Amino acid sequence: MLRTTLAGLLAHKLRLLLTSLAITLGVGFIAGTFVLTDTLQAGFTQRIAASADKVDVAVRPAESGGEKAPRLSTADLTRIRGVAGVAEAQGLVRGDAALVGKDGKAVGSAPTTGFSVVTGRLDRTTIASGTAPTAAGQVVIDTNTAKTRGFTTGDTVTVLDSRHRPHAFQVTGLVDVGVDQMLAYTGAVGFTTATAQAMTGETGFHEIDIAASDGVTPENLRAAITSALGGTGATVWTGQQLAQQLARSNGADTEILTLGLLMFGLVAMLVAALVIYNTFNILVAQRTREMALLRCIGATRRQVFGSILLESAVVGLISSALGLLTGLGLGAGALAVLKATGQNLPSAGVALAPRTIAIALAVGLVVTVGAALLPARTATRVAPIAALRTQTDEQTFTTGMLRIAFAALFLLTGGGLTVAAVVADPGPVALYVAMGGGTLTFCAVLVLGPVIVRPLSAFAGWAPAKLFGVPGRLAMDNSRRNPKRSATTTVALTIGVTLMTLISVITATMRATYTVKLDEQFPVDYMVSAQAGESENSSVPRDLAGALRARPELTSVVEIRQARAGRGGGTGGGSGGGSGGGKLTVGTFSGPYKPALRGGSMTGFTAGSALVSDSVAKDLGVAPGGTITLTTPKAGTVEVRVLGTFDGETEALPGVTVPDGAFDTYFGAVGDDRILVNAKDGVAADVSRKAVEAAAMPYPTAQVVSSTEVRREFDETLDMTLMIIVGLLGLAVLISLLGIANTLSLSVHERSRESALLRALGLTRGQLRRMLSAEALILGLIGAIVGVALGLVFGWVAAQTLMADILFRVPLAQVAGLVALSGLAGVLAAVFPARRAARASIVASLASD
Amino acid sequence: MTVTGAETGRRTMPAVAAKGVTKIYGHGDAAVHALRGVDVGFDTGAFTAIMGPSGSGKSTLMHCLAGLDTVTEGEVRIGDVDITRLGDKRLTLLRRDRVGFIFQAFNLLPTLTAEQNIRLPVDIAGRQVDQELFDTVIGTVGLADRLGHRPSELSGGQQQRVAVARALISKPQVIFADEPTGNLDSRSGAEVLSFLRTSVRDLHQTIVMVTHDPVAASYADRVVFLRDGALVTELAAPTPQTVLDTLLKLEA
Ligand SMILES: Nc1ncnc2c1ncn2[C@@H]1O[C@H](COP(=O)(O)OP(=O)(O)OP(=O)(O)O)[C@@H](O)[C@H]1O
Ligand SMILES: [Mg+2]
Repeated sequence: MLRTTLAGLLAHKLRLLLTSLAITLGVGFIAGTFVLTDTLQAGFTQRIAASADKVDVAVRPAESGGEKAPRLSTADLTRIRGVAGVAEAQGLVRGDAALVGKDGKAVGSAPTTGFSVVTGRLDRTTIASGTAPTAAGQVVIDTNTAKTRGFTTGDTVTVLDSRHRPHAFQVTGLVDVGVDQMLAYTGAVGFTTATAQAMTGETGFHEIDIAASDGVTPENLRAAITSALGGTGATVWTGQQLAQQLARSNGADTEILTLGLLMFGLVAMLVAALVIYNTFNILVAQRTREMALLRCIGATRRQVFGSILLESAVVGLISSALGLLTGLGLGAGALAVLKATGQNLPSAGVALAPRTIAIALAVGLVVTVGAALLPARTATRVAPIAALRTQTDEQTFTTGMLRIAFAALFLLTGGGLTVAAVVADPGPVALYVAMGGGTLTFCAVLVLGPVIVRPLSAFAGWAPAKLFGVPGRLAMDNSRRNPKRSATTTVALTIGVTLMTLISVITATMRATYTVKLDEQFPVDYMVSAQAGESENSSVPRDLAGALRARPELTSVVEIRQARAGRGGGTGGGSGGGSGGGKLTVGTFSGPYKPALRGGSMTGFTAGSALVSDSVAKDLGVAPGGTITLTTPKAGTVEVRVLGTFDGETEALPGVTVPDGAFDTYFGAVGDDRILVNAKDGVAADVSRKAVEAAAMPYPTAQVVSSTEVRREFDETLDMTLMIIVGLLGLAVLISLLGIANTLSLSVHERSRESALLRALGLTRGQLRRMLSAEALILGLIGAIVGVALGLVFGWVAAQTLMADILFRVPLAQVAGLVALSGLAGVLAAVFPARRAARASIVASLASD
Repeated sequence: MTVTGAETGRRTMPAVAAKGVTKIYGHGDAAVHALRGVDVGFDTGAFTAIMGPSGSGKSTLMHCLAGLDTVTEGEVRIGDVDITRLGDKRLTLLRRDRVGFIFQAFNLLPTLTAEQNIRLPVDIAGRQVDQELFDTVIGTVGLADRLGHRPSELSGGQQQRVAVARALISKPQVIFADEPTGNLDSRSGAEVLSFLRTSVRDLHQTIVMVTHDPVAASYADRVVFLRDGALVTELAAPTPQTVLDTLLKLEA
């Protein structure tokens, strides 16, 4: 039996190849994911180890839970230096130090991070070129910032200190920030320790690195330092522990990447499983006579079953092995692409963990054999007598009661869950319920596939039949002659198309909804705000608003200020008073601004009163008429009366808004957090933009954004997300196309006598090719139509569960494009089978059976 | 051996004519000479049977005459066209417009109804079916009440009758039939053969039929005999007995 199976496999190498390809791609994607993330992780770990190797003991401050990052004090450093066995101890300084770009503006949306460069034994900085700073006027810049901002060694640059005063520095070198996510994100400027403290205004340290004297083990030193620091709550690690800690926090990031990619891998494998299932089903159907002959000459049912499973196991094993190789290639390719796009990645060799090999082989094998189980069972049902029938009878399909019952069950529960999700409040729970509903509905479609494929093929085949005449009509007949086969073939495509439609509907809806919200939230032409820094004074001086008001091109300048206040809880008016504790953002506005209130009124908006956003009102349990107690730095504890509530999402105001006079008494003369500016009517956009920029010029940290820019940025983010997701789903679609090609070539093989007959009767080669292309086109269109329908419905449902008050949008062009592409891809999938069919010799095909 | 036979002296051009047709399968040592220089003509409006022992090259000759297969050497004319010089496209169109086929089995597309199968060649050509001819043919082969059925719902004899109707409907210059009654019992076979006979007499159809059955051959106007890829003899106005005698002589 084994020999018969293997001989059969070898006799159909092409078929084997096509079948394997589906699994190979799916396994390749999964293996590639592991290879990529393992390689990244290995590289990070290697770098971290190299860096942490230099320290024997590291001390990190206790988590304070406060708003400011915790720091170790100079006293802590002195204490550590006094511990016996400490050869050297260095405090690491870190804080905002905004680098000013060549345009006179602080670079980036957050200020660059200033850090101290330690020299000597504990130097953990990797200088990429040049030298480390050794004097007060020297600085090193991270390579990425230097590249994007056009700075090189020898340049003189301006860096702002914590009070936004400019200082000039000479760039002595470029530094590689390695795996430090924080420095990589903000960009980094490195100084000597003293300069770093002066520039950032930080007196404490975010870490203290310690080198042990000769003969002192890190463990002993760690114990000694822990007792010396007793009571401060600081964490003391050996160098090794530090490395582990860093690796773990990095690992969490790669794990999210792994999981995200694996989701797409799963979809691809599901599609591959359908393709395999279909292929084996067709093979069994085509080999009915072969099976029957085997049964006639004495093969048992078990042997027939075994031979099919063995075949699938061989296919599974070969394709998983190929998939593993593909995965290696994919992983290495992705890495190369990431590097080429300028990502700062460690360049370790490609990592192939034993786990990757095991998972790849197991997944490929299990999916292939699993998908072949049902077809194998069908094969055992072949009666020996079938060997004696001359013409393989046409598969007739009748809709069974069981099918209807199952479909109804899935449809009812799926529909019920979906309705429940739509009715429920938007949120993760509703989304999960909707996902459940969607999955069940999809199962219903899967079960109903053979039933709906007939009417759908009539629908999808209408145009081809009109266009191509007889070949088109024949194609339509062929596409529906075996409804089960067509249904499985198209469902594979449906999965990809559904998900793509879903994503594009959600994106379009989000875009429309957010654009409207942005218009409400950003009812102005420009917004000037300070770079979002860690330090408290991330605000722009009030003079800037004055300068803007003085400009004739601009109008309605509104300043918004805010600060943090202690929260004393709210009482009255609402559903019971909220508890005290925590912090609140309290702010004010000054200028022509009319908040739209949801409840209460603006009358009497004077000192001692406040407007609150509805979410703050809900948190505190207050309503108009109630009071809130605030702990303020300048006026101590104050009670304010709530006058009204506003929609926190659409109003540009802080959660608790008080009159501007009162704000100053509570918090002092805080700078503006943001300034809203409009252009005067009739002033051209570039003119008003120049006016705003000119006014902001003296303030390097003041950043000007226009409403169009915000919208464009938002659009670009959405487009990017859409592209990545669609790209990743593309794999599933590609596999389903292989499925179409495979089904078609097997069907063509099965119908070679029919094709020969048609050719004998006068169908030209071109017409025959067109007939098969039209059949693939119809299959592709059916898959796309079902997918688009499901995608639209569940896109709407998902949008409903994501947020309230959505503006549902169908990206018609994208959806139409998707349908057209599916049809086209189907035609493409038919190219090879059609060519082979058209080339076949008429006489030989007529003789074969 | 050349067989010109009865047509010498007639003015009409034969519907199909082969001249020095040679067909060799394979190369070198493995080469099989299926046809060794066959010269033969088939008159318009005549019913000719091709006979010979198994492997003598009957099917090969028919395929070459019908343009389904290429010849190694020689010339085949359908009407005034030398089909050995045609490319696939022109050959296909010629087949579509001038040639009808009836095979031993698997004559019909399983997805189409009997009527659709009958109309298929005309549909492929994009022409209109001659409704009068259609009705006559359907009436003759007796399929009027079976037109909406698919092949799987028809008996073997009915399927062959559909195939005959299809071959007749496009009014081809010649119909080739390869053992059209090979799978039928003698009664159904006799029916099919008498339709062929009738169509020759009434519709002036030209038919070339390959057969093993002396009775089937006796429906023809003329029988040509093949042996080892060459024409050896022929019979005019055959009866089952004369055909059988000739065959026995050939095999001896
Ligand atoms: N494709 C082919 N390749 C090689 N040899 C072939 C091929 N087709 C036919 N032959 C050989 O050519 C010769 C003639 O075959 P053909 O099928 O024409 O015989 P036939 O007279 O129709 O026989 P039968 O009565 O059995 O149908 C035979 O020897 C056969 O083996
Ligand atoms: Mg033959």
